[in-house]
Amino acid sequence: MRATASRPIGATRSFGRAAVATVVAACLGSALLLFIAAPLLRLTMEGGVAGVRGLLGDDAELRASLVMTVATATAASVIGALSGTPIAWLLARRRFRGRALLSSLFDLPLLLPHPVAGIALLLVLGRDTVAGGTLLAAGLRVVGSPLGIIAAMLFVSVPLYVSGATEAFARVDPRLEGVARTLGDSPWRAFRRVTLPLAGRGLMASAIVMWARAVSEFGAIVILAYNPKVASVLSFDRFTTYGLPGALPVAAVLVLLALGPLVALRSLRTTAGVEY
Amino acid sequence: MLQLRGLSLTAGGFRLGDISFAIPAGAYGVVIGPAGAGKTTLLEAIAGLRSGVQGSVAIGGEDVSRLPPEARSVGLVYQHAHLFPHLSVAANVAYGTTGEAGLREATALLARFGVSELAERRIGSLSGGERQLVALARALARRPRLLLLDEPFGALDPGRRRGVRAAVRALQREWALTTLHVTHDFAEADVLGDVLVVLEGGRVRQVGEPAEVFSRPASAALAGFLGAENVLAGVVRDGEGSSYLVGVSASSSVPSPDRLPTESRLLSVDVGPLLMHAVGDRAAGPVHVVVRASDIVLERPMSAGEVHHSTSARNVFPARVAGRSSVGPVTEVMLDVNGVSLVAALTTRSAEELELAEGDEVLASVKALAVHLC
Repeated sequence: MRATASRPIGATRSFGRAAVATVVAACLGSALLLFIAAPLLRLTMEGGVAGVRGLLGDDAELRASLVMTVATATAASVIGALSGTPIAWLLARRRFRGRALLSSLFDLPLLLPHPVAGIALLLVLGRDTVAGGTLLAAGLRVVGSPLGIIAAMLFVSVPLYVSGATEAFARVDPRLEGVARTLGDSPWRAFRRVTLPLAGRGLMASAIVMWARAVSEFGAIVILAYNPKVASVLSFDRFTTYGLPGALPVAAVLVLLALGPLVALRSLRTTAGVEY
Repeated sequence: MLQLRGLSLTAGGFRLGDISFAIPAGAYGVVIGPAGAGKTTLLEAIAGLRSGVQGSVAIGGEDVSRLPPEARSVGLVYQHAHLFPHLSVAANVAYGTTGEAGLREATALLARFGVSELAERRIGSLSGGERQLVALARALARRPRLLLLDEPFGALDPGRRRGVRAAVRALQREWALTTLHVTHDFAEADVLGDVLVVLEGGRVRQVGEPAEVFSRPASAALAGFLGAENVLAGVVRDGEGSSYLVGVSASSSVPSPDRLPTESRLLSVDVGPLLMHAVGDRAAGPVHVVVRASDIVLERPMSAGEVHHSTSARNVFPARVAGRSSVGPVTEVMLDVNGVSLVAALTTRSAEELELAEGDEVLASVKALAVHLC
């Protein structure tokens, strides 16, 4: 009789199931990766060179739209960060009546179809409204102006900042602030010396996400301010006017523009050693 | 001096209720209590870090109840140090100080705790014990009027714990720094404390000198919490005993005469089938009898069945050894005294010399003064 080395039957089955699951997961993951990467790669390859050439050369409209996009997105992000930070701190640190409602209110724009966001803004900031009329009387036109673009960008992107910043503040142990207070700090000084530096990376990452979201906005902007054209509106405009070849360079430049914040975000995550 | 009067606070579902006690100026107070007793909450309330606090907190005779934390001159060390992770060790210790003098103080404290070499290190690279030392130095660098310690030695290994404990106590004495230290470590409470506060369920259950509190707990539940090995239900007999002049005892757990009630007398207490004697002023009725294991003396009977014995102890019982367990120099002997279980603690050498084995007959004796009724 010959002795044979054998693996328990249960172990073999379990190993087999794990192998199948790994293969299925790898296939699904690869398909998804292809689904995301293929259009972007194709777009960049088809329109990238023409886009960059246009940007550096004769396409003044593309250049202007890009400057407008970056300027308005930056303005919206600065406004969002300045006004959203105190709210984020409040949501992270205080328990009060209506907190859930406030939090939900800030999440709501994320769930709205973006043209609906534009329509809602138009109802408040349009020429015939109290706010819009007052601003117009003060020489600040919202509809069809950079101000309108900033308003639309702010509306759709600031929820991302508030949500990220709330998390960043929540990750800072409140007892650190307490210790700082016992060491002589006023609440504001403790915030400045302890909370802000510790939440800083999270706030910066949230601001970058907000900026990227603002750059990519189209639906709300097109309702509130078709002109002056930001890059997303220009790509749509050229698509409807000149078809795919006309839209490709603008679209490719937008993809390249999105790489900047993406790299910055990854760099923040790496140096912080945590995922935001 | 730290004086709390009627300190109350509700946080979530927890209530810290009517806390009143005083720690004399320059004294070392220890708050002991089980997990969830409200010890950390109490320290935070004293430091001014809790809102909705009622009652008053006075530090050095000044009522600080309405002052913000930064104006109370309190140093706080949490159990997990809570160092600022974005600053170096030196920057942490000097955080609350100003100018050159502050930096010198910070450097001196690091040296005093033997961690000068850590000054430029990042917090993330420190061990738990090192963090605690840095947190202590940080809290002390401002020379606070009151030091609040929340289980500060928990992260230290036993060897280092003894050293740091001694260093903190020496510094506290040198600076005459009023200190309140929260712990659940009985040994720490006994070794460090001038005043012991027992906190349980958000309320102060007993305040006194550690030896007094440990030997004469206010209730059976407290006796159990404080680690009393023998807590037995009994009934004080009616009409027995007479006015009694208590003698001075050398035993640390036996109260000196001035700590006993003025109307103390020798009482007879039925504990199951046993008749025990105690000194106190309790009226007839149900009580709990508390006897520390270390207050029980064991000896071999001269002859089989010997009960009457020439000794000053009022309580002498023939007992049978039901088991024994040794931890280093201390041996606990489980006794069966006519159906009542008692635990005696003696040195392992004594246990070996007596050659105690399971089933052996012994005589267990306890002074009446060492029997506490609550």
